[in-house]
Amino acid sequence: MAAESQLQGYAYPPHSSHREPARLTTRGQGPSAWLEVHSDRYGRLITAELSEVAVDPPLGSAPRKMTFPDGTVFETLDHEAVEALTGKTSGSTLHYYEGFRPRLIGVVAVCLFAAWALWRYGLDILAAVAIAATPQPVIEQIDVGSMQTIDFAMAEPSRLTDRQMDDVRAIYRDLVRTLPPEVQEQHSFDLLFRSIPGVGPNAFALPGGTMVMTDAFVEEFDEPDVIAGVLGHEIGHIVDQHGLKRLYRSLGAYFLIAFLAGDVGPLTEDLVLEGNVLLSLSFSRSQEREADRFGLTLTKAAGYDPAGLKVFFEGLEAQPDFGWTSSHPSNADRIKAIDDFIKSQ
Amino acid sequence: MAESLPVDARQFVFKGNAKEWFGIWIVNLLLSIVTLGIYSAWAKVRTKKYFYNNTFADDRNFDYHATGKQILIGRLIVIGAVILFQIIVSLAPVVGLLLVLAMLVGFPWLLVRSFAFNARMTSFSNVRFGFTGGVGKAFLVFLLYPFLTALTLYTTFPILDRAMKRYSINNHKLGGASFNIEIGLTPFYKALGVAILWIVVVGVGGALITGFSFLEFSAALENMALAPEQALPTIIMFYVLFFAAFLPAMFIYQAMTRNAVYNHTSLEGGHRLASNVTPQKLLWIALSNMVVVICTLGLMLPWAQVRMTRYLADHTGFIPGSSLDEFVSQQQAAGHAIGDAFTDLESIDVGLPI
Repeated sequence: MAAESQLQGYAYPPHSSHREPARLTTRGQGPSAWLEVHSDRYGRLITAELSEVAVDPPLGSAPRKMTFPDGTVFETLDHEAVEALTGKTSGSTLHYYEGFRPRLIGVVAVCLFAAWALWRYGLDILAAVAIAATPQPVIEQIDVGSMQTIDFAMAEPSRLTDRQMDDVRAIYRDLVRTLPPEVQEQHSFDLLFRSIPGVGPNAFALPGGTMVMTDAFVEEFDEPDVIAGVLGHEIGHIVDQHGLKRLYRSLGAYFLIAFLAGDVGPLTEDLVLEGNVLLSLSFSRSQEREADRFGLTLTKAAGYDPAGLKVFFEGLEAQPDFGWTSSHPSNADRIKAIDDFIKSQ
Repeated sequence: MAESLPVDARQFVFKGNAKEWFGIWIVNLLLSIVTLGIYSAWAKVRTKKYFYNNTFADDRNFDYHATGKQILIGRLIVIGAVILFQIIVSLAPVVGLLLVLAMLVGFPWLLVRSFAFNARMTSFSNVRFGFTGGVGKAFLVFLLYPFLTALTLYTTFPILDRAMKRYSINNHKLGGASFNIEIGLTPFYKALGVAILWIVVVGVGGALITGFSFLEFSAALENMALAPEQALPTIIMFYVLFFAAFLPAMFIYQAMTRNAVYNHTSLEGGHRLASNVTPQKLLWIALSNMVVVICTLGLMLPWAQVRMTRYLADHTGFIPGSSLDEFVSQQQAAGHAIGDAFTDLESIDVGLPI
C-alpha cells in the first residue's frame, strides 16, 4: 500500500457545527501513522498521530467519524480507506458479522434457538441462582409480610372449632412426615386457618412455606382424602419453590423484555407485553400440573387415596375453560390427569 | 389532510435500510441473549447510533455519544433498586407504602435526569443538545397535572398534553440555541374533537348497522361459560367495533398534535420545524408493521422500524432561517445514565421527537 493516501470528507472545528469540505492525508502505517486535515479555504486544520485520534467503529454505511485530540472532527464516507488505515479492530470484526450475507441465516438460527433456550432454561437458571442467593430468613419474612397484607386487606380470624383444625393438622403432619427429612427441614410448613369471604373453598401456599386454608374449605370438604389431596398439591408448590420461581422469573422476563426489545414501535409494543403475560400464564399452568403430580405421589405414599383431589375438582362449580388465558389448567384436564395417575399405579 | 410541507422546508432524510439494520439488529440480539442481557447496553448504543447517524437534515446527521458502559451502570443501579424495592415491599408492606410515596417524588427527578442525559448524548452537526428543565416544574407537569386532569374526567387532557410538550421542547437546546414552541390550545382541542367525532360516528354507526347493544353484550359475557358458541359472535363484534372506533382515533389525535407541535416549534436563529404526517398512513404503517412482525416471529422488526422511521423523516421538515454553521456546543454536565435506564424500563419516550 502507498505510504501516502487521501480521503475526501468534511471537517468540523471543536464544538462547532461549522461544516467545511476537507481532505485527510495519511502518512505511514500503524498506530504511529501521521494524519493531517486540510481544507481549500483554511489550509491545514489539524495534525495528529493515529493513536491519538478516536476513530468511531464502523456502523452500516453511516459516515465514519474521527475525533482529533482538540475536538476537531473529520467525517468521511470512504469506508475502505478508513478500514485500510485502522487495520482490523474489534469494531470491524463486529461489522463483518453484521453484513447481510448468506451466513447471517446461521446467526438468525442461533438467535432463535438462543431466545427459546433463554426462555425455556435461562430464566429458570437465573431464578434458581436468585433463589440460592436469597437468605432463608428473608424468604420466611416474605410470608410474614404477605400474611400482614392478607390479614389487613381480606382475611378474618378463623371461625373453625379446635376439633376441626386439629383434624386438618393431623392430616397435614402425616403428609409432611412422608417428605424426605432434609426437605422437611428446609421449610417451616406452618398451617394457618383464615376466614376469607369471597374466596370460597381454597388453600394456598406462600413462598416461604406457610400454608393457608380457608374456613369454607374445611366446611365443604370434610373427607380426609380430599383435604390430603389439596394439601399435597400445595406442599408440591412449597417444596419446588414455585412461588419464588415465579416471582424471579417474572422479574427477569420484565427486565429482559424492557432492555432487549428496545423501541419496537407503536402497537407492536403492546403486543410484546401481552405476549409476555400469556407466556407466564403457560408457565403457571405447568407449575400447577407439576404440583398435582407431586401431591398425588405424596398423598398415596402417606396412605391416603389420591382420588381425593379428584373429588375436590369435581366438587367445584363447573367453570368455563379459558385455555391459554388462564393461570390454572381446566378442572376437566386435571381430573383426567388424576385418573391417568391412578391407573398407572 | 395530506398537506405538503412548506415550500422552503428541507425534508429530513433517513438513509438507513432494512437489510443493513437487520444484520446489526440480529447480531445485537444474539450477543444480548448469550450474555443474559448484559450486552443489551452496548446494543442500545449501536441501535441509537444507527438511527441517528442515518438521519440527515440538510446533509448533516445526528449522532449518539453515550457508551455501553455508562448505560450498563445505569441499568444495574436501577435493577438493584427495583429488586431492593420488591424485597422491602414483601418484607414490610408498610415501609413499602412509604417507599411508593418517595418514588412519586423521585419520578420527576429521574425524568429530568433522563431528558438531560439523552440531550447531552445527542448531537447534530457536531453540536450537542442540552436540557435545562427543572425538577419542580417536572413534578407539576408529570405528576400534579395528570392527577388534576383525571379529576376533570380528562376533558382537560389537551391542556396537560400541551404542558408536557411545552416543558419538553422549551427546555431543549441545540448548543446555545433554545427551542421554542408557541402554540395555543386550539390545535390540541381540535385534535381531540376530531378523534372523539370518529369514535362517536364509528361507534354509533357501527352499532346501528350491526345491531350491537350493550345489553346483549353483557348477557353474552355471562353466557360465555354455558353457551360459548352463541356468546362468541357478540363478543367478537364488540372487539371489532372497539378497535375500529378507538385505534384510528388514537392515531388521529397523535398525527394532528404532532403536526401542530412541529409547525409551531422554532429554534433560535430563525430556524423552524414542520410536519405533515397523516393519521391514516401512520395507522396503516403501525398496523401492517405489527401483523408482519407477528407473522415472521419478530424477524421483520428491523424492516418495520426502518419503514416507520423513514415515513416520519420524509414528513418532517426543517426551514433554516440562517446558516447551520453557527451553532456552538455548550459545556454542561452530562451526569449519569440512571434516569435513562429508568425510562427504558418504564418504556417512557424522552428522546427528541425526530
